[in-house]
Amino acid sequence: MRAALVQGVKALAYLLPDLLRALVQRPETGQFPFAPPQIPEGYRGRVQAHPERCRGCGLCVRDCPAFALELHRENRDTFRLVYYPARCAFCGQCEISCPFGVLYQTHAFVRGTEDLDRLTVRLVDRSASTTPEES
Amino acid sequence: MARTIVPIGPQHPLLKEPIAFQIVVEGEQVTDSTMRMGYVHRGIERLCQERTYIQNLYLLERVCGICSHVHAVTYCRGVESLLGLEVPLRATYLRALLCELERIHSHLLWLGMLARNIGLDTIFMYAWRDREIVLDIMEALSGGRVSHAINTIGGVRQDITPMQREVIWGQLDKLDQQVSRLLRVVEHERSLQARTRGVGHLSLEQVRRYCVVGPIARASGLDVDLRRDEPRPPYDRLNFDVVTHTAGDVWARTLVRMQETLVSVQLCREILRTMPDGPIAVSARRRVPPGEAISRSEAPRGELFYYIRSDGSDRPARVKIRTPTLPSLLSLQIQLKAITIADISVILSGVDLCIACADR
Amino acid sequence: MSTWFRILIFPGFAFLFIAALAFEWIDRRMIARFQGRIGPPWYQPLADLIKLLAKEDIVPEGTNKFAAAALPILSLTAVLTASLYVPVGGIKGASFEGDLIIVLFLLSLPALAYFLAGWVSSSIYSLLGGHRSLLQYFSYEVPFLMAVACPAILSDSWSITRIVSFQAQTAWHALMQPLAFVLALVGLIGKLKRDPLDIPKAKSEVVAGPLTDYSGRKLALWHLTMTMQTVLGIFLLVNLFFGESRFFNPMPALPIFGLKAAAILVALSTASALYARLRIDQLMDLGWRILAPLALLQMLVTLWIAN
Repeated sequence: MRAALVQGVKALAYLLPDLLRALVQRPETGQFPFAPPQIPEGYRGRVQAHPERCRGCGLCVRDCPAFALELHRENRDTFRLVYYPARCAFCGQCEISCPFGVLYQTHAFVRGTEDLDRLTVRLVDRSASTTPEES
Repeated sequence: MARTIVPIGPQHPLLKEPIAFQIVVEGEQVTDSTMRMGYVHRGIERLCQERTYIQNLYLLERVCGICSHVHAVTYCRGVESLLGLEVPLRATYLRALLCELERIHSHLLWLGMLARNIGLDTIFMYAWRDREIVLDIMEALSGGRVSHAINTIGGVRQDITPMQREVIWGQLDKLDQQVSRLLRVVEHERSLQARTRGVGHLSLEQVRRYCVVGPIARASGLDVDLRRDEPRPPYDRLNFDVVTHTAGDVWARTLVRMQETLVSVQLCREILRTMPDGPIAVSARRRVPPGEAISRSEAPRGELFYYIRSDGSDRPARVKIRTPTLPSLLSLQIQLKAITIADISVILSGVDLCIACADR
Repeated sequence: MSTWFRILIFPGFAFLFIAALAFEWIDRRMIARFQGRIGPPWYQPLADLIKLLAKEDIVPEGTNKFAAAALPILSLTAVLTASLYVPVGGIKGASFEGDLIIVLFLLSLPALAYFLAGWVSSSIYSLLGGHRSLLQYFSYEVPFLMAVACPAILSDSWSITRIVSFQAQTAWHALMQPLAFVLALVGLIGKLKRDPLDIPKAKSEVVAGPLTDYSGRKLALWHLTMTMQTVLGIFLLVNLFFGESRFFNPMPALPIFGLKAAAILVALSTASALYARLRIDQLMDLGWRILAPLALLQMLVTLWIAN
């Protein structure tokens, strides 16, 4: 009799145990904008630089698949490395290609913005008059 | 009711990518259908010719979002054969680990879409909740949930630490439990069976004629799986079953995919357990000597085929991709006949369309 | 209580509006929890309604403008009128012998308006959805009406208030005629076009059914009609099958009524989460081969008991 009842419930409402279990467990979703997201250790986000190590070789520019890096070079000591976060695919090839360990990836997201200047970032600025700086 | 044409697509709640079907119906009965593709064509094959081999790694990952890793692996294998490189064993194991994880994630995604399209939202949520486990593992391994960027020509870029290995082992146990539960639901839940049984039948002869590959072919009885048929490390050292069924309808395809997912979880465990130590990459020259190479892999949807021709420079002369969704789309022509409108969504879901793959 | 208060505030329009929002929230939150999600916050149905009211109202070319504007008003009016005769916790707007029949008639007007909304629209999806909604109507309405008539037959009255007070003297109709209750519940799922019987508005097949082209204020009125119909349908079932009882009498009537209504809503939400959508031919099969004979059987049993 009891087996028949269990069979009947199984035939008519097979998912019922899962539904009841889901009621008592913690929900899977989070309150994202009001609670911080959980980002693991090696997450590949926005690209940043250690500008003092850069020598302007351009290996990163050559290997970027999204053409998000540009090197503007006047002579051996005057160059600028420009990064376009909007084009970036966050693949990390630039980090691997650089032999001097200049570029690295952070956990930051690249958010949409109405300010176009934020979409052109000077990672390395070596002009003859100024000291190296990071934007 | 008179003959009318119901457009499914390019935009429709049923489709996750744009493709246009014009379905001719009379009342609720479908009589004929035509299809038009190309809405997601991005010209990737042409773009490959203007980028170096290294840049193409990341471009080709983005042919498809669901099977991104296997595209990169197949391409890498083609280029490595042109360069004459021998990839270290540990790298092949890591690549295979991600391939199997991707297979699990793709099948769980597909199960969710099928359930959603037949109105069973609960299974959609449960399948995608379990898919989150896989995505978290992949994010911990490679840094990205969908675009992994872990391949490089000559091996992989990132190694797996022992602590990650322990964590993944525990997650795999949980995944095993959840996927087994989903498999039992598919086998026993009556309303799901009522919608998917007997729908979208493809016979073995039709599968052969349309060159359908993957779980669809295996559900109709064609015993073909590139992991076993073209054994390459590490698959030549791992034992696994190839799941086939004979019914050939959408329910059989669901069973095949779910059982394959369990096999993949088992394969992941075996890969983790038997992974050898060693280097993870060999260095590769930038200029590839002239020649042609063909590489094939078992993507989640079937056989993925790459043809790469090089002319001696650091850019490929031609990259040709044949994705497994293409013959599935052609086989839809037979499936979308003499059914009701309600079955259209079941059939389109059952075929596991990845239009981005098909259109490139 | 003055008549105007009963019509406009409680248990009339204002109470129905608030109850519709509350029931929609409970429904969505329950389904979300069943699926392992958090679910929308309490103000979500109100926010959705306000958003819809603020959106642009487009009537595509080829659609009959007058009908498209009149149909949502017609169905909302029908539902609001029906609310006058459904008592809430014993307090009613009006009652007379035969008001059950009026309520059932008024509650079936939205189904007709839904079909017409698909018929006058120029979209192929709307036409298909309207076609399906009519097929669905024929499948669930007969068992539903027969099941709802059973308490009336047993109580020997067609007035909802009398049916409720009959249960106070004997027992709940749900206990005396359980089959009628189950059939009425299934019929209610079809009437409200909820999963698994949301065939006319199946998102993956006919986009949104007859309401595909509606937007803005008209869609807000339709949405309000659907949610108010849910509330009224549940209240009707509570009155007919779980009316007053000897054992609960000293306790306040309104919270008890609310609890019973919430229990039925939970049952409906569970059914939504459990099953996949049926095909229209499977529904017609179910309706005419299983539900209608069962309803007939229940009616015969009721007639036999009543004598």
